[in-house]
Amino acid sequence: MPAPIIEARGVSKSFFGNPVLRDVSIALAPGRIHALLGENGAGKSTLINLLSGALVPDSGTIEIDGKPHASLTPAEARRAGVAVVQQELSLTSQLSIAENIGLGAYPRRLGLIDYGTLAERARAVCDMVGLDEDLARPVGDLPLGRRQMVEIAKALFRNPRVLILDEPTSSLSAHEVETLTALLDKLREAGTAILYISHRLNEVMRLCEYVTVLKDGVVTADQSLAGTDADGLVRLMVGRDPGDLFPPWTPTPETETIVSVAGFSSGPLSDIDLEIRRGEVLGIGGLVGQGQEDLLLGLYGALPASARSASFGGVSGVPSSVPKANALGLAYVPADRKREGLHLIHTIAWNMMLPQFGRARGLSLRNRSQERALARDLADHLGIKGDLTRQVQALSGGNQQKVALAKWMPSDPSILLLNDPTRGVDVETKREIYILLRRFASEGKAVVLSSSDTPELVHLCDRVAVMREGRIAAMLARDEISEEAIVASAMGAEAARAAA
Amino acid sequence: MSVTSGPASRRLYWPAQMQRNRGVRGLFVVVALFVALYAYLFPGLLTVGGVSKFAQSWFPLALVSMSQALLMLTGGISLSIGATVSLGAVIAATTMTGPLGVVGGLAVVMIAGLAIGAITGVIVVRLRLPAIVVTLAASFIIGGAALLILPRPGGAIPTWFSDLLAGNTPAALILLIVTALLWKVYLATPLGLSLYAAGENPVGAYRGGVPVDIARIAAYAISGLLAVGAGLFVAAQTGSGDPVIGTAFTLNSIAAAVLGGVGFLGGRGTMRGAIAGSLLLSVMINVMFFLGFPPVAQYVAQGLIIIGAVALPEITGRRGPR
Amino acid sequence: MSIAESETTRFPPRRIGSLLKNRAFLTFLIVVLVWIVAGFAKPGFGSFGHLRYLLELAAVIGLVAIGQTFVVISGGIDLSVGAIVTVSAVGVPLAADLGDPTGTVPVLIILAAATGIGFLNGLGVALLRVHPMIMTLAMATFLQGVLILVAGGSAVSTQNPLLHWFGNARPLGVPAAVYLWVVVSALTLLVLHATPFGARIFALGANPLASALSGVNTRRTTMAVYAIGGLSAGLAGVLLLGMNGQGYVGIGDPYLLASIAAVVLGGTSILGGSGTYAGTIPGAILLVTITALITVVNASPGWRSILFGSLILALLLFSGREARNR
Repeated sequence: MPAPIIEARGVSKSFFGNPVLRDVSIALAPGRIHALLGENGAGKSTLINLLSGALVPDSGTIEIDGKPHASLTPAEARRAGVAVVQQELSLTSQLSIAENIGLGAYPRRLGLIDYGTLAERARAVCDMVGLDEDLARPVGDLPLGRRQMVEIAKALFRNPRVLILDEPTSSLSAHEVETLTALLDKLREAGTAILYISHRLNEVMRLCEYVTVLKDGVVTADQSLAGTDADGLVRLMVGRDPGDLFPPWTPTPETETIVSVAGFSSGPLSDIDLEIRRGEVLGIGGLVGQGQEDLLLGLYGALPASARSASFGGVSGVPSSVPKANALGLAYVPADRKREGLHLIHTIAWNMMLPQFGRARGLSLRNRSQERALARDLADHLGIKGDLTRQVQALSGGNQQKVALAKWMPSDPSILLLNDPTRGVDVETKREIYILLRRFASEGKAVVLSSSDTPELVHLCDRVAVMREGRIAAMLARDEISEEAIVASAMGAEAARAAA
Repeated sequence: MSVTSGPASRRLYWPAQMQRNRGVRGLFVVVALFVALYAYLFPGLLTVGGVSKFAQSWFPLALVSMSQALLMLTGGISLSIGATVSLGAVIAATTMTGPLGVVGGLAVVMIAGLAIGAITGVIVVRLRLPAIVVTLAASFIIGGAALLILPRPGGAIPTWFSDLLAGNTPAALILLIVTALLWKVYLATPLGLSLYAAGENPVGAYRGGVPVDIARIAAYAISGLLAVGAGLFVAAQTGSGDPVIGTAFTLNSIAAAVLGGVGFLGGRGTMRGAIAGSLLLSVMINVMFFLGFPPVAQYVAQGLIIIGAVALPEITGRRGPR
Repeated sequence: MSIAESETTRFPPRRIGSLLKNRAFLTFLIVVLVWIVAGFAKPGFGSFGHLRYLLELAAVIGLVAIGQTFVVISGGIDLSVGAIVTVSAVGVPLAADLGDPTGTVPVLIILAAATGIGFLNGLGVALLRVHPMIMTLAMATFLQGVLILVAGGSAVSTQNPLLHWFGNARPLGVPAAVYLWVVVSALTLLVLHATPFGARIFALGANPLASALSGVNTRRTTMAVYAIGGLSAGLAGVLLLGMNGQGYVGIGDPYLLASIAAVVLGGTSILGGSGTYAGTIPGAILLVTITALITVVNASPGWRSILFGSLILALLLFSGREARNR
């Protein structure tokens, strides 16, 4: 093996006292595509930030060309040829494609940006990634997938020796993925060291030769990919067989309908007919951004919605606001808990009480001891340990999600709407959440679970509604649910037929 | 401009500029309508003298609007612009008739503006204090300095210089065009263009190699320069200095920038929008004055128009959780 | 997954040390220190009469700052408080008294009007989604026009008995204005920290989206917060009229910046979501104390202003850092 260009040696990093990486080592060699795998929250993004100098490790060193750096800066990393394509885009929407690609590394003439050279070089990298848009277009105009390609072009613009890609394909079309794959092959042949992070195992199997697996901040595997299959990868990541993750449960027999809507529309949704029954976990699947979130928010009264006919627990009409939805027994757990679910600067106990504050009479007096007792009960019940007067941001992702769930329990909702509740949650907490959801359903309540994690839908749901382009493309009954069926419906009828 | 010489750059620079215009096209139409109305009411506007006079009443507001918009683009804001305008005016009125002369006075004014802006910028950016509070405190310090230099209205600007800037000449219009062109040149430098990235996505920009802190501090310095420039011009207009003459400019600069589509969160808006916003505000005031609106109605109408201009796009394009 | 942990693990008792990290308490401590030092250094400063006078001045700022505290904690800012103070001060003599000899009716009318103005601010921010700075700035401009209409630019004076009493009476040697401030402060602290409505304000300021999705009626809360802003500025305005005996255009102008400064000095985050009126109280007293000290050193208005600004800046540097990216 040729000498690695960049190497992390025994690095550790904690946030708010929570260790995110513990004694992690990884070496990126030229001419190799190296996969970095791990659950959400395993510490992948932190490791990337250490390699690119955006964060400094608490202990351990980053070596570039054999030279150790105790505190690597982004500028040093860039000069050494490290380029990162972040999962969160770093583009500026008002600037043009070319101006974004060159940002931070503009060619200059007489102190001014050399627009001539910029246009030529930007064109060249755009051709490499198959981006044929007008270079003068503001990036804000582009759909998400195209922006992702601009982000990749931006990294290539710097002629990187090390290219780090953090889930580059999550919002790309099949065609764009093809282009990217071909491009990465070419870069590998030219001797670039590539670190590739993806949740799509088939991509990893096809592209990468070597894999490092992170689990809860520790390297659990660092080996060649030769001779490993997809199941083996999952075992490396999860640390157990995929089947163990999900609790056993028995389907609830047909029961009464609690929510029914017909001709429901909200935002990009049109003409949706849906029934939600007591005692079931109804899954919502599909590719990213097919209207799943709009459906949940529309039902929850958080987005303007209309329906030909609608009944929520016997009350007709769609709730027109969140407080009204709450009064009807609905509760919502959002996907982006930091932005939509929690008040990070407030305490754990306070966050648990928030729905009560929303509902109570505004100028009544709060009962502190009752609040404390309630918060304690919830924390005990969900296994959240320690001081409840800490800020929520001090908790790990999994425990934060528990708080986001816990706060609804005192309201005793009869319909629980969840939007990707296990994103960025460690395996143990995932299992606890699954148990909780099934128990909730077994108490005769209804759970609607939108998820981008297909196994979750397969192993946890009584029925699965697959969404495509703002409509329900298929409603799969218990005996029809399989990963293949969900993916086929998500991709559309043509693709399904071709697959058959 | 030299940047636009090659054929490739012509394919990129100007199209990119045109595309950036789209956000302000509606505003340009509204401004054009108001200017047409004004010209219809006051045909004298369409002479060299008329345009010159109007440009003189508009120029200081245009400068402070640019000054404010520049900071808002970086995600900041300034409540000390009015005080800085006053300081520029009193420095000009006390130095230009002295031994330093007009050129020396000009230099002192400009250095003061750059220094004040840069210091404010360093405090906000390096010490991580909220811009609104720092500039609030700065407004007392800068306003106090203006009072020290000139406790009560007085001082003088050489008559020839006053006449040159604010007499019967189109100097204000020419200066405004020059300022706008200089801004274009600044935006064509790597540091200038970084403003947008530093305002919209500072973390991403920093990771991508943009000198975010320097870009923001530079913005504060330039903002200070523009504000003292407005003060200098106001002093030339009145022929003397007044330590509180700039007060109204703080809020008017915010109003003009917002009318021009500049957002509070950084990275949203354009300088041409802010200039158009200040033009709209100036023409509105002139038209209402011309139509014989009582001052009451002028204030009321101004308040309503600002709210309307900001609320309209929100009402028409609303989406998101309620 | 059930566990059980003790009450002291869940809610550890506060240590004495944590008090020293409390911004409200620190501001209070600074006020006390400044008073002690100034009392020794400058004869007359520490006299009861002088301190009483300072508190009376602080009461007006403190009242304006009630609304500002609410608004800032909710994540907004109110730039119209100065104009509302002026409108209230100038408006009382113009309001119908309906033959009320105590002068209560016109005061109530003006307070209702001030609340209404604040409510309109809230309407613009919550329903039209105008940025608070723009909405309240436009409102201030608008009120300036109304003022010229109603007052014609000249000063108005009042013989309103109620206001005269509040402005001048000193039951038990303490100014009535200070009693008023104490009572209203107690109410404010109660609402902010002991009611669900208060908790909603903190929620709104920390994360409006998460608050809405948790069932908080964010629009109604926003409107209420700005209405309180109007009411508290109105209260300060009528009190100021009572103390001065007359009102004029511009009488409220200094209170805009003073209210924001008092809020920030008291440790309330200008970004919203955290803070307390318990800090704003010493913040207001600190402001008038600084002003008084600067007057004592007998400096010119220019130096006074520079000293004032520098001291505020220094106090901010001392303890006002904000996390930049939240």
